[in-house]
Amino acid sequence: MNNNRKIRVAVLGTGKIASDLAARIHAAPDMTLAAVAGRRPESEGLERIAEIADFSTPQGLSGLRDIRDEIDGVFDATSAFDHLTHWSTLQEWGKWVIDLTPSRVGKPTVPVLGEHFPRFGIEDTRTWNYSMVTCGGQSGSPIAAAFARNAEGVTAVEVSSSIASDSAGPATRRNIDDYVVTTEGLLAEISGTKHAKAILVLNPAEPPPLMRTTVTMKARVINSAGLLSDLENYVAAVRNYVPGYSIVVPPHQPQDGVVSATAVVEGEGYFLPKHAGNLDIINAASIEVARRHFAENWPKS
Amino acid sequence: MSIQEIKFYDVTLRDGNHALRHQLESSFVQAYSSLAAGSPSWSIEVGHGNGLGGSSFLVGESLQTDTELLQAARPNLHGIQLSVHSIPGFSTIERDLKPAFELGVDLFRIASHVTEASVCEKQIEFVSSLGAVAHGVLMMSHMVGIEELVSQGRKFVEHGASAVIIMDSAGTYRPEDVRDRVSALREGLAVEVGFHAHNNLGLAVSNALSAVTAGASIIDVATLGLGAGAGNAPYELLAVALGLDKSSPEQFDAVLSLGELVTSSYHQFLPRISPSSVRSGLLGVFSGYAPQVSAISERTGLPAKEIWLEASKRKLVAGQESLLEEIAQDLSNL
Repeated sequence: MNNNRKIRVAVLGTGKIASDLAARIHAAPDMTLAAVAGRRPESEGLERIAEIADFSTPQGLSGLRDIRDEIDGVFDATSAFDHLTHWSTLQEWGKWVIDLTPSRVGKPTVPVLGEHFPRFGIEDTRTWNYSMVTCGGQSGSPIAAAFARNAEGVTAVEVSSSIASDSAGPATRRNIDDYVVTTEGLLAEISGTKHAKAILVLNPAEPPPLMRTTVTMKARVINSAGLLSDLENYVAAVRNYVPGYSIVVPPHQPQDGVVSATAVVEGEGYFLPKHAGNLDIINAASIEVARRHFAENWPKS
Repeated sequence: MSIQEIKFYDVTLRDGNHALRHQLESSFVQAYSSLAAGSPSWSIEVGHGNGLGGSSFLVGESLQTDTELLQAARPNLHGIQLSVHSIPGFSTIERDLKPAFELGVDLFRIASHVTEASVCEKQIEFVSSLGAVAHGVLMMSHMVGIEELVSQGRKFVEHGASAVIIMDSAGTYRPEDVRDRVSALREGLAVEVGFHAHNNLGLAVSNALSAVTAGASIIDVATLGLGAGAGNAPYELLAVALGLDKSSPEQFDAVLSLGELVTSSYHQFLPRISPSSVRSGLLGVFSGYAPQVSAISERTGLPAKEIWLEASKRKLVAGQESLLEEIAQDLSNL
């Protein structure tokens, strides 16, 4: 670590995702929850998060104006619509932001991909707005990347995820198309094919099932040995920031020229239930992005 | 409900595509649509077995695109509505619904698992905004109690659907189950109600009749039952049960001609009663999984029975084909 002080962050939003993020930040030895901003004074979530934050306001982002010098960066867990206005204010203030909404304003970011796919990594100091893509993107792209690096002539890629119904909030449900489009965009780019398909299935079973993501790729040539070793490395790297990430169905070829594998994500259970791996992986990746961004930028600024 | 009031909703060219492993050909769609003109069909649904955007490694790749299939049907359907099945999470508004509307689809059935109607809100709103008709479909409807079923149906109506269809996706209902559910929906909702049968227990026709008696006006049928698993309510048999052969012999003949066409092209794919389909019906597992279960059973040597049982224990919904692979792996490692 080349920085010698804690990362001071604010959380925008007071919903379940924001509550889980706040709990993670509170538990992180290298981070300080400098502030939380909500919209409603009577919000239960705001009250809950305020207990572990140094400062809280029901005035939204503008409520942080006077203490903005106490904050290095911000996690935006509000909505895609609100993120647009937040981003213009944050640019004015010179703050970095990690966007957990599906706004697609910032740079699509999956921490583990940085080494081989710099466009999705953090090691790019010009970026101050990181978009966390989707749960299918975070969980599926390491598999797709391992496949793509060991395949020639990729013609199609598919990522299908099933999540527990109770982990899909009203915004996700209403904007399920955004999920599909954003996930497909990421997978297409990693795989080098415009034929990318994303599928999302909600399962209401009790007890709620863990989040699962299956990635399937079609290619002219598939190098199985290289693929297995790349995947092993990626999974180990993801597990550094998402301990509950694992491969449950290892790579196999259901037919010639097609390779498929399935990952499962068990959440850490900070505030969200453990089966909500889809939300866990986004939050865990966000924290990782904040750490790496800070490590890259703080000593220079 | 008299036979004149019943809207026969023909799913042969969509649910039948499950039986054809999604290899339905445009030329067949064209021939079938032309021939259907003389039938009493109110609407014909066309597409991949999982509907718009269903073509995938997960469920099965289509031989022909949604566009090709819809183009083959549209000019030949005179006086019959062209419809599609659409499951949000598989389909999207931009990629699938917009082009389908431009190709002349009249009726969009927006479908979700029985507990998840809220994911259909935007698609239903979008279809309504085009001036097309949106119906809501509750798949795997046996997996909840009647109260929850009505409450999910109400969500569809609030979003703007002008009918609610319940699917017996696993073919598990008895006639009294259908009666109770359709009656409750008729009482609880101010829109038309439809019923979609599967024949795993040989009760598809009885169940469809029970739905009609309880007030359902939209009844799904498939020529010779061509559909997922043990197939759907056979069009010709339900027509006889409702007296079409007597009330309108010409229309009835046209239905039988559709059967001749299906037989001539796809006789080897016609659904049959099998121990596996009866078992999955009794267990209440999605009928569409039949080909994957038999393929996995053949490849791994695991009895189909054990795979179905485990799928039932894990409460799979439609669209979780990849979990069958995981189940097989877990069972093999026991």
